[in-house]
Amino acid sequence: MEAFTTHRGHVALLDWTDVNTDLIIPARYLKRIERTGYGPLLFADKRYVAGGAPEVDTPEQQGAYEATFPLNNPHFKGASILVVGKNFGCGSSREHAVWAVSQAGYRVLIAPGKHEGFADIFEQNSFNNGLLPIELPEADWRAIAGAVAAHPTLEATVNLEASTITVHQPEGKSTSYSFEIPSEQRKRLLAGLDAIAETLLIADSISRHEQSAPAWVTPAAS
Amino acid sequence: MSRPTTLFEKVWNRHFVTGNDASSLLYIDRHLVHEVTSPQAFDGLRLAGRKVRRPELTFATPDHNVPTENQFDIREPMSRRQVETLRKNCQEFGITLYDVGSGRQGIVHVIGPELGITLPGTTIVCGDSHTSTHGAFGALAFGIGTSEVEHVLATQTLWQGPRPKSFGIEVVGKLAPGLEAKDIILAIIRAIGTGGGTGCVLEYYGPAISALSMEGRMTVCNMSIEAGARAGLIAPDEITFDYLTQVDRPFAPKGQALEAALADWRTLKTDTPDAFDQHIRIDASTLVPQVTWGTSPDMTVDITGHVPRLDEIPAAQRGDAERALHYMGLEPGTPINKIPVDIVFIGSCTNGRIEDLRTAAHVLKGRKVASGVRVLVVPGSEQVKAQAHAEGLDQIFTAAGAEWREAGCSMCLAMNPDKLTPGQRSASTSNRNFEGRQGPGGRTHLVSPAMAAAAAVAGTFTDVRNLLAH
Repeated sequence: MEAFTTHRGHVALLDWTDVNTDLIIPARYLKRIERTGYGPLLFADKRYVAGGAPEVDTPEQQGAYEATFPLNNPHFKGASILVVGKNFGCGSSREHAVWAVSQAGYRVLIAPGKHEGFADIFEQNSFNNGLLPIELPEADWRAIAGAVAAHPTLEATVNLEASTITVHQPEGKSTSYSFEIPSEQRKRLLAGLDAIAETLLIADSISRHEQSAPAWVTPAAS
Repeated sequence: MSRPTTLFEKVWNRHFVTGNDASSLLYIDRHLVHEVTSPQAFDGLRLAGRKVRRPELTFATPDHNVPTENQFDIREPMSRRQVETLRKNCQEFGITLYDVGSGRQGIVHVIGPELGITLPGTTIVCGDSHTSTHGAFGALAFGIGTSEVEHVLATQTLWQGPRPKSFGIEVVGKLAPGLEAKDIILAIIRAIGTGGGTGCVLEYYGPAISALSMEGRMTVCNMSIEAGARAGLIAPDEITFDYLTQVDRPFAPKGQALEAALADWRTLKTDTPDAFDQHIRIDASTLVPQVTWGTSPDMTVDITGHVPRLDEIPAAQRGDAERALHYMGLEPGTPINKIPVDIVFIGSCTNGRIEDLRTAAHVLKGRKVASGVRVLVVPGSEQVKAQAHAEGLDQIFTAAGAEWREAGCSMCLAMNPDKLTPGQRSASTSNRNFEGRQGPGGRTHLVSPAMAAAAAVAGTFTDVRNLLAH
């Protein structure tokens, strides 16, 4: 996994609540068996005009953008930090949703409310892909969302080591906000650790657990 | 006396391998695999030269892509490739696969319990959010992403953050005739919201839960994720033990192992409701059949009610409600029983079990599907299908004018030929009414099997209690 230390980029805003993973990437695109190619499929049923969404096997062939979809604001082109509404990523466990967000160029998501910003599985999937899901206190989130709405070309710097978001206002001044990331997740992101390799180092503990399990836990022969 | 603990904590603690307050490595007793969320995980293993640690704890079946008209005839090349990839991966890594035609294939959350793979007190994961279904047995069961699928395949464990909070959902009273487990869970989601369970494991208890069959309990636990919960569970009792022992469940313990298991399973309960971090109480006796009107599972009203008017919706939610009304093509204030349906779907991991089919058949028996309405009845597994045949339920469905299909996920999500066309409106026993969930532009209303059958007969949503009275 790619390590995450500091990232500076443009900020985009999609302030809808309860954005579910079917919306992030419709199920028909889950037929792909690859781990790549999902960027153009992000929000496919919202992002393109009717009939313009790519086919599952040819994601690079896209129709025209739907002008009313917030992320199609030309000022948001190239943004790598996405401010989203509460309960983002609810619904299905599909990691394809995180792949789509990442492969569309985003490295950071910012949602309002501790334990309310992201759905649990989506949040875990984000960590596992080096996509940083930040939950901010509502007032701080509103300040950033408001700043992006007023200045859609805004840039911000996210520093994981210091756990700060610095919003660079167009007139030159900047404002910083602190965030919290669970300590283990932070450690893994900063180092870009391979979780499986880490776990295999403690295979002895796993074996001991297996030996202590009651006999009935092993499936009966079929 | 030690601090009272919840059922969830007990199951969590016995699977704790190592860790600290911030991070725990949990042992996983059962891993269910389907074709959609596993190919990239197997690729990851191959790239790193890793093996599956405990293939005998891993069970696979194709379900999402399987056509329900003819399971063997997958015409869509991408779907076919995905199912064939599952076959190859299972063969290469030594995993048991219940393929179409095996007699044991079906929706992963239907076959786990019916084969005795799902047991009380175990941990169960699957790359599918509706894994919460298995919590009905007092298992800790939850959905995971594909990176985690790979981690479980390689290590039989999973890293978890701080232990989730426990949320007790007490359901008192008795359901009126015509109401089902589906109405209970829709009412719970309506009460706590789609984010109400975030960061929590829900435990359902109380007289209305104890009165449910295992099928009903699975329906309730299945939709825990629609309340945002990590998992949902119910303490095992005699109904659970009968389910596991009175019918042949090939992977369930037998003989001495069963005696030991039963002694253990009887200890699996929350010591006292005070142990929950959070608690709410719902009265089942006041419920009427529930119908969703919008594009989120908490946008739910009574069948006797109407599509909400904007002034009835809190200001902060009005924007979402307006978008939902527009997508659903509904006028605020419309009585629910005046909304016509095009398609009725009875099936899915929420309501594709034998009891669900019996309930739907009870309503449809001797009646006809309204003209212009298409009805799909889709058994959740090949075993459910065989049982329905043995009971003659298929005859009732076809006599009423419904289509009797083969086992699979079908119209719950648009990954196989069963889907809504733009603008079509369904009464669906599935779990999600999200935009496009049943096909781009499709409009989904979630209901119980009885209410779906009633809508099939009436051609509009209608109160099934009126049909049952006559």
